[in-house]
Amino acid sequence: MLMAKKSEKTNIAEEAPRAVAHPFGDESKKPKDRAGDGVSTPVSRMELLGEKETLERLRNLGKKLADEVIRGEEPKFDLPLRSRSNIVYDEGMKFLRIGEKREERRFVSVGQAKKFMQTIAIANKAKKFISEDLHTSIRGLYYQLKFTLGEDIDEELFSEQSESNELIEDLEVALSVKREDFNLTTDRKGVVAGRLKIRDNFAGEETLIDGTKMGRSGWMVPSDVDNGMELVDVDAKYVLVVEKDALWQRLNEDQFWRKENCIIITPKGQASRGTRRLIRKLADKGLPVYAFTDCDAWGWYIYWTIKTGSMNLAYLGRNFAIPEMRFIGVTMKDIEDYAFLQKLTINAKEVDLKRAEEMLSYPWISTHKRWVEELKRVLKTKKKLEQDALQGQKLTFVGDYVRKKIGEGDLMP
Amino acid sequence: MGDVFDKFKEYSVAEFFKKNRQMLGFSGKVRSLTTIVHEYITNSLDSCEEHGILPDIRVEIKELENGNLRTKVQDNGTGIPEKLIGKALGQMLAGTKFARYAQQRGQQGIGATGCTMYALLTTGKPIYVESRYKEAIVKCNLAIDFKSNSPVITNLVKEPNADGTGLVIEAEFSDVKYDSGAYGVYEYLRRTALANPHAQITLVEPGGNSVTFPRSDERIPPKPRDVLPHPLGITTHDLIDFSKRVNEGTLNQFLQDSFSRVSANKVSDIRALAPEINFGRKPKDLSWEEADKLVKVFKQVKWIAPATDSVVPIGKEQIEKAVKNILVPEFMAVTERSPKVFRGGIPFLVEAAIAYGGNSGHEKTEGGRAGDIMRFANRVPLLFDAGGCGITEAVKNIDWKRYGIKDFDNSAITVFINFTSVHVPYTGAGKQAISTDEEIMDEIRNAVQEAARLMQRYVGSVVREREREGKKKAVFRYIEQLSKDLGELSGTKSEELGKKLVEIVERKYANESNGENGNGEEKKEKLEEPEVPEE
Repeated sequence: MLMAKKSEKTNIAEEAPRAVAHPFGDESKKPKDRAGDGVSTPVSRMELLGEKETLERLRNLGKKLADEVIRGEEPKFDLPLRSRSNIVYDEGMKFLRIGEKREERRFVSVGQAKKFMQTIAIANKAKKFISEDLHTSIRGLYYQLKFTLGEDIDEELFSEQSESNELIEDLEVALSVKREDFNLTTDRKGVVAGRLKIRDNFAGEETLIDGTKMGRSGWMVPSDVDNGMELVDVDAKYVLVVEKDALWQRLNEDQFWRKENCIIITPKGQASRGTRRLIRKLADKGLPVYAFTDCDAWGWYIYWTIKTGSMNLAYLGRNFAIPEMRFIGVTMKDIEDYAFLQKLTINAKEVDLKRAEEMLSYPWISTHKRWVEELKRVLKTKKKLEQDALQGQKLTFVGDYVRKKIGEGDLMP
Repeated sequence: MGDVFDKFKEYSVAEFFKKNRQMLGFSGKVRSLTTIVHEYITNSLDSCEEHGILPDIRVEIKELENGNLRTKVQDNGTGIPEKLIGKALGQMLAGTKFARYAQQRGQQGIGATGCTMYALLTTGKPIYVESRYKEAIVKCNLAIDFKSNSPVITNLVKEPNADGTGLVIEAEFSDVKYDSGAYGVYEYLRRTALANPHAQITLVEPGGNSVTFPRSDERIPPKPRDVLPHPLGITTHDLIDFSKRVNEGTLNQFLQDSFSRVSANKVSDIRALAPEINFGRKPKDLSWEEADKLVKVFKQVKWIAPATDSVVPIGKEQIEKAVKNILVPEFMAVTERSPKVFRGGIPFLVEAAIAYGGNSGHEKTEGGRAGDIMRFANRVPLLFDAGGCGITEAVKNIDWKRYGIKDFDNSAITVFINFTSVHVPYTGAGKQAISTDEEIMDEIRNAVQEAARLMQRYVGSVVREREREGKKKAVFRYIEQLSKDLGELSGTKSEELGKKLVEIVERKYANESNGENGNGEEKKEKLEEPEVPEE
């Protein structure tokens, strides 16, 4: 991975101008930094494409290629290179994004002909899904395209789902369109409750979802929170992202969101695309976002993925990352502040220590003094701490802990 | 190997045979059967050629109920006159070959009589002979009286012969096995057919399956000229062998009469170098040690080289026809080279052919084909002892990648080498491998490389063409589906897109074959102007 200055340019980018423009956000709209630690907070760079725009982009791709063919030229299109070598940490935007290198997809090439044909088949399918207003999973799409290419061709259009998965990502990158906009759904994961209202247009019916009336189970975040979804009334002070469902249930039972006037979300581990988009949208409403995770490798990973984006989805960075997010804990420093936690640490595993070392080497982490101290503490004590430990003395202490941290601004970047 | 012929005196023929059967090619069940067929076939081919007859040979092998194999070899040679049948097939060292010194197939001398013996030793049964010689057909059973080394003929029947001439020998063997692999009779005959395009050979296998290797050339090879052996080309064993046949005169005279380029002057030179040998003695009293000394001395004397016209190759055209006929290759290259000499003066000639594709190479058990090296000495296939053979070594040492063969062992390729000489420098008594002398290896390598260069040109162009066709096909197969989807996506007629795409792909790969270069696809990419963005 590379560190990239904003002005970064590569030769490849110069040689291969883009066929499809990137709808990058306007940087002048950055609001002020709330945490005061130098992390700028980009405003939503996500434009809601809407069906029309998505369809337009699909059709434009088709038209460009068809025109080339009619002119007798080899059809080809290019897209940002998705390999790790082209993933950069954008210091200005504070998240992982795809770099400037681009690659070409050509039909008249032995190595690429099939993939090219498959990509266009997916594009055509996506166009149909949108036109018919029907959604399916990426597995559903795979089955729609799993048919033989012809009587005399002993080959299927797709024979493995892994083939189509990869090409869906290609198409997302090439058109700057999320798969959700192609009416492709992903598994739902993540639960929300609290002071937000969402208007959901689904299957021809409009429903108003009230986050304060979700009882014990909360509202399950759908895979797509953009199309047919609208945040209509967000009357909260902040968003709290709780790693574990158990802790979320604790806070829900304690009526934490009502008392605090906030929204609580649990991604139930690693955050799904839908959950990340929902957090991003709430952040776009001007709400601070706080993370509450275990103090271990997995917890840190969940936090940093939501905050700066992941390598795999770096091409979606600008739509998913939440650089303005802050970290509450738990932290090893908490042991100093809360004596009872001292006895509740557990031994750190090899993976936790390795991850801590790795994080110390990431430039976007090593520049934060508090993270360096925290990680060094873990490496030194070889201990870790789970959020569940906060319940060790008193179940409702969890809420007190969070409230105190936010109240005192005892946060990590 | 010691002095075989001295031992002859000490043991009965049968005992000698039992003790030395591996020396005569009877080692292992598969090899024994191949040896038997080799001995009969060689006799048949020699007999036909001698008399200007195009050989038509049929080999039939049957499995009997008792597990024994019965062979029947039939030819259209001259047949054997009644009074010589016993001598030819039932007496050791009575073959006609010892009387002559010329480029020959068999140099064993034990030949067909050895087979008779092997039949008797393994089954106790005499062989059956049917000889059509001139106007008579003679049918008889034949055994050997081992003690006296003389033939025993029984059940002799004589009939007038109205058909053609020829010989049929039937014999039953135990301790043999039919195998269709690389060392078996089938492979032996296939290779024999390759090196003898004038012969037609039919094999009926034990299961009843019949295979014919058809004649591909009508020309009978010219008779090799009888030449006296050159002193440089003989071994101690040869010298003893020749000397035992001469009852008269002195050693001095024997040397001058029996060898080429040996004059009285040369004998004086030899005498000077071997003063301990009495050159006035009878030749047949020559001891092994003395003969050994003489052979060594021969090498120190300066000789006039032997005549090279004693060497009769198969011929370029003949090899081409045979290879085409039997291997049906996509391509072949055959060399035509002049004779060379080794060991200071023994003429030899190497013919090399390379066949590529078709039935070249041999089928691997796991599928695909493997490269083959077919070795021949005076047209006789050498199936065994490949490892220590100069031919194998020379071929293996060639860097085949240089000639466009990426992986020799996994290619449909046959390298055919025929080593022709009056004196084939075999490395062992089995006569299945030839020497690794530098001069021989060099010439074999040169011959094979010459053929390889010819082949390379072809393989290169064929492979390129095939790759190009393959590329085109690989792209073609997706045109229909792409046209359909692209048509729907863009609102363009799919048929039109399909037609255009076919044109585009055709043009692209046609350009590539006009050979800007092999990697044109990748290189061209960089040369194209970048597209102007659409938006």
